[in-house]
Amino acid sequence: MTRVQLDHVSKKFGATTAVDDFNADIMDGEFITLLGPSGCGKTTTLRMVAGLVDPSSGQIRFDGQVMNNVPSHKRNIGLAFQSHALFPHLSVARNVAFGLEVKGEPRAQTQERVRSMLDMVSLSDYADRMPSQLSGGQQQRVALARMLATDPRVLLFDEPLSALDRNLRDTLKYSILDLQRRTKKTAIYVTHDQSEAFAISDRIFVMNGGRIEQAGTQLDIYLRPRTEFVANFVGDNNAIAGTVIAPVQAAPGEPRLVDVRAAGMTLRGLDPGGVQTGDKVLVFARPENIEVFAEPLPEGTPNVARGKVDQIVFEGPTVRLTVEVDGTPVKVTSSGMSRLTLLDKERSEVTLRLLDVTVVRDEGASA
Amino acid sequence: MTHAPAEVALEYETATERPRRFWATPRARGLTLLLPAVLVALLFSLIPLVYLFQISLTNDSSFFFEAEYTLDNYREVFSRYVPAIGETVYLAAAATLICLLFGYPFAYILIRKIRYRELVRTLMTFPLFGPLYLAFGLFYVLLPTGPLGGFFATFGIDLAQYLFSTAAVLFSMAVFTFPFMVMNIGAALSNVDPMLEEAARTLGAKPWQIFTRVLFPLSWSGIVAGFLMCFGWNLGVFAQPQLLGSPKEQSVISLQMYFKGLVQFNYGLAAALGVILMVMAFAVTWISLRFSRGALGA
Amino acid sequence: MATLAAEAAPTGPGSTGRSGLRVLGNALAHGYVWAWMAVFALPFLATLTYSLRTPQGEWTLSAYQYVFGSFRENLLLSFQTTVLTIVINLLISIPAAYAIVRYPIPGKSFLLSTLNLSLYTPAAVMGISLVIAFAFLFRIPQTMTGLIAAYVVGTFPLMLVPIIVALRDLPMVFEEAARTLGATRMQTFWRVEMPLLGPGISAGVLLTFVIIFNEFLVTLFVAGPGTTTAALRVYNLTRTAGFQPSTAALATTMQLVSFLVVLTFFHFFGSRYLKGTYLI
Repeated sequence: MTRVQLDHVSKKFGATTAVDDFNADIMDGEFITLLGPSGCGKTTTLRMVAGLVDPSSGQIRFDGQVMNNVPSHKRNIGLAFQSHALFPHLSVARNVAFGLEVKGEPRAQTQERVRSMLDMVSLSDYADRMPSQLSGGQQQRVALARMLATDPRVLLFDEPLSALDRNLRDTLKYSILDLQRRTKKTAIYVTHDQSEAFAISDRIFVMNGGRIEQAGTQLDIYLRPRTEFVANFVGDNNAIAGTVIAPVQAAPGEPRLVDVRAAGMTLRGLDPGGVQTGDKVLVFARPENIEVFAEPLPEGTPNVARGKVDQIVFEGPTVRLTVEVDGTPVKVTSSGMSRLTLLDKERSEVTLRLLDVTVVRDEGASA
Repeated sequence: MTHAPAEVALEYETATERPRRFWATPRARGLTLLLPAVLVALLFSLIPLVYLFQISLTNDSSFFFEAEYTLDNYREVFSRYVPAIGETVYLAAAATLICLLFGYPFAYILIRKIRYRELVRTLMTFPLFGPLYLAFGLFYVLLPTGPLGGFFATFGIDLAQYLFSTAAVLFSMAVFTFPFMVMNIGAALSNVDPMLEEAARTLGAKPWQIFTRVLFPLSWSGIVAGFLMCFGWNLGVFAQPQLLGSPKEQSVISLQMYFKGLVQFNYGLAAALGVILMVMAFAVTWISLRFSRGALGA
Repeated sequence: MATLAAEAAPTGPGSTGRSGLRVLGNALAHGYVWAWMAVFALPFLATLTYSLRTPQGEWTLSAYQYVFGSFRENLLLSFQTTVLTIVINLLISIPAAYAIVRYPIPGKSFLLSTLNLSLYTPAAVMGISLVIAFAFLFRIPQTMTGLIAAYVVGTFPLMLVPIIVALRDLPMVFEEAARTLGATRMQTFWRVEMPLLGPGISAGVLLTFVIIFNEFLVTLFVAGPGTTTAALRVYNLTRTAGFQPSTAALATTMQLVSFLVVLTFFHFFGSRYLKGTYLI
């Protein structure tokens, strides 16, 4: 229903910069997630969209209309809080009705709307209860009904599930996604939990230190991290320092590749953009994307290394290994039947094949 | 983490309109909301106190016509009222000490052993209705025809002998400040985990050792805060000496001030006595605030 | 823990003596508390008894005719000044508490100390400073205005402190939730914050009531012939007419009213909202 744009939005609290030059163009009906560690500026960004925090600079637009000077209560947004924030002195029904009451909607209409909202979250029987009489999950569902009752243009979620236990979190995150899909509303979701972000978003904005590290689909973020932070923050990863040997001539229309020398291996991966021979880079390889073989592979197979098994941990469905390749420890996660062969205590040498290699400029080295 | 302070600062970043002029800023709006309270405090607390100090430096009624500034009033206070100041401090200290000695066990029992705490708190509000009713009621109790006279007489005690005595004044002062003392000590004791006492007991500590080595050090701040608070209140004692005391107790500063100021119209001297009392009460409060980290955490 | 220990004790050697001691100790502890409760109530009960006795030692209610007779005006004035003070206290304390907790004010703790200045001023000092200032500085001696001003300055910090505490304990999210749901600042205040601050505000109202209704000392300095409150009347009568049953009747009535107000408050809110202000 609403396109949300943030243009060069920054927020300073005194000398600290909480959000630094945030740019986003969020499409009508899109579900985006701001993912990052605590203190990365994701909540401040959300609160700026909600009008609870004033940007220090930059512009926030809903459907092209500048919202910077529009107070929170006139923005017509729905915000879900970490602590659900149900008014403790009002019944469930009065909580849901709150937004309609303050707008002066007719009573009959309000009651009808409250009924249908509570129906939607399957809490019709609880209309007259007080919030304190509900379970944590029910409270959060009432909060969802309350935020949807006023038919907001944009749905904002500030870690709404982080106070709940794991099972509840799993079911509720799909309820949230389902509600958003049914109402076709633009949604911005803040979380530090990557599995939540991956499960429900159309697009993920990974934030760190007030800046966007990378924005993209789940696959982009997971398989093509563009910065060291993203590669490390999302999922488990091996980071190996290396040097560019040479860019690889690619066929027209194909992405350009580079060969990198790292930990005694020659690895071929996607060019992060214009690296030259001799540049310092970091090579990332996810433990689950590394295959393990007992015997050496035929000469000339790309992205292969031989190493010494340092540690094996059997975790049931998976086996975790640490393999030392030319003095560098490489984490490997192996699943499937073949993993069982790895448990042979006698074995000391294995061959690794790195199936998916990401090359990232080493900012630390060049600085 | 360099971003941690940002989260703290959020508390104040709630203004929705972008501040443009000074009067639209949160700070200006906050100051506007504070204005009535600040005006009241300035007009009726701070300015009168400053004026009191000014009057205390003038002679007779000279301030009314043409102020002559002099230290005569203070000279008089230090030549003639030192015993009165001594009596005031003595009564306040003694009453507060009694309060502490009886209040500590009371607070301990209240926190550790009593389930009917609400009842105790409810009855504890009676002294708070004021020292006047308290002194009035005790006056009747101490009359020869009083309600408990017969009861005490069976133990060979003549209650009436305590009317117009130091004992009666001290007792009524202690009862008046008792709730304040219990409140302060109780607050400190309720923060002491009962497990600590049990741990001490299992380590072989005797009850008095538990008190001197565990409870007393851990509730020390409450004791100091309670003592100073009650002492400060008791310095301003007025009704109890007047109704229950002898002329010796009636020499306390508050009463003197009243007679000098409102009966004899010697405003300068009354003001000087007031300044002395104020300074003493302030010193006590200042020290107590260092200890109590009061209700506001300030 | 006491019960646990008592149950466990009989298994050990020489346990009968121990548990006997423990029972005795508990009895003494409870007895001690009850004795003090008796002391708290004693002055009131004595006053009540005295108000009901004739000089001949018979029981009578006749002293109470004065309460509704010649003391009526004093009582009405007491109610009037108390209610007026409470209203003014609320009007200045709620915005001030709101500003102190929710707005960035420079020099907050210093400001708070200045506002609380009167709490640390002995009543008689406040009395003498106000009587002088009213007479020679503001030119409002012995007026109702002066009396109310004295009451307000003396008690509004008692209102301010519980509201500040309640407001600080109130999470910002309720306010933010209301705002994002479309409520204006005023709607948020009346529909969300006021109801949630209710107990804190009531605690302030209770404290102001109990103190102002029974105030006689500052009143003694500041009041004029036309502004004798009931509490001051009790004091004056005790000084001039000696110890009379009619005075006792008035004092009893005042304490009963105060106690009923306290009981009503405790019934609705419990005593915990007075925490940090006056009582445990």
